[in-house]
Amino acid sequence: MKEAVIPAGTNLSALYRSLGADYPKFFKMDTLSKLGFLLAEMLVGEEDGRFGQREDRAVLVFSREGCIADDLHYAQSMKDFPSPALFVYTLPNIVAGEIAIRNKFAGETGAYVIDGFDGELIRELSSLAFQDKTTREILVAWIDCPSDSSWNAKAWLCNEAQINEIKAFTI
Amino acid sequence: MNELINELKLKLIEALNLEGMTPDDIPNDAPLFGEGGLGLDSIDVLELIVLLEKNYGIRLATPQEGKNVFKSVAVMADYVAANRTK
Repeated sequence: MKEAVIPAGTNLSALYRSLGADYPKFFKMDTLSKLGFLLAEMLVGEEDGRFGQREDRAVLVFSREGCIADDLHYAQSMKDFPSPALFVYTLPNIVAGEIAIRNKFAGETGAYVIDGFDGELIRELSSLAFQDKTTREILVAWIDCPSDSSWNAKAWLCNEAQINEIKAFTI
Repeated sequence: MNELINELKLKLIEALNLEGMTPDDIPNDAPLFGEGGLGLDSIDVLELIVLLEKNYGIRLATPQEGKNVFKSVAVMADYVAANRTK
């Protein structure tokens, strides 16, 4: 199973450039979505047939803090001129959408805010995505980003046979 | 006017997170939206509306009005020069 991790404090712009991604919208994203974008690049960026439509791939993102950092930034901006670009990211599921749009993953997209990393719960929820008979692989990510400088970001690309390994995942 | 155009370009780069771009990368008459332009989107329009109000005291009534104002940096500069309140 392929795994990607971005240690806290990593220079995300430098990582973006090192991966050779050409996607200027990256710089407009919040930190949560940048982390999701980069984790996906690390997992599938060098695949053959990149950017072909993938009906068989789903994206599920899990976190504890959701988009709290953006919520706080946006609340701050409301004291002056609220930022429309910031408002876009005040939903925790946007990161799953960004990953799906970039990679043309047309399967289920989902974002779950849970009490903390729980491998069994993540395995259980992820396994449901395979019930649609179309999904063959899921990009599962744990991206917890309470601030723009502190995060825990890890992702896996797994098929149905590998899904049971998730409960053994650690972060 | 050239000073205002350069100022607007710097504010565009900052407000829209146009990473790696400099004022020289934005031709005065290049379209900001659509083919051959900066590739800005609908959210960027809203950011530009905020930019005008925040920096120049100009309130656009509707995003549609912005379509005329945001044709290019040169058009924006003309509009700002004619309508600014600060």
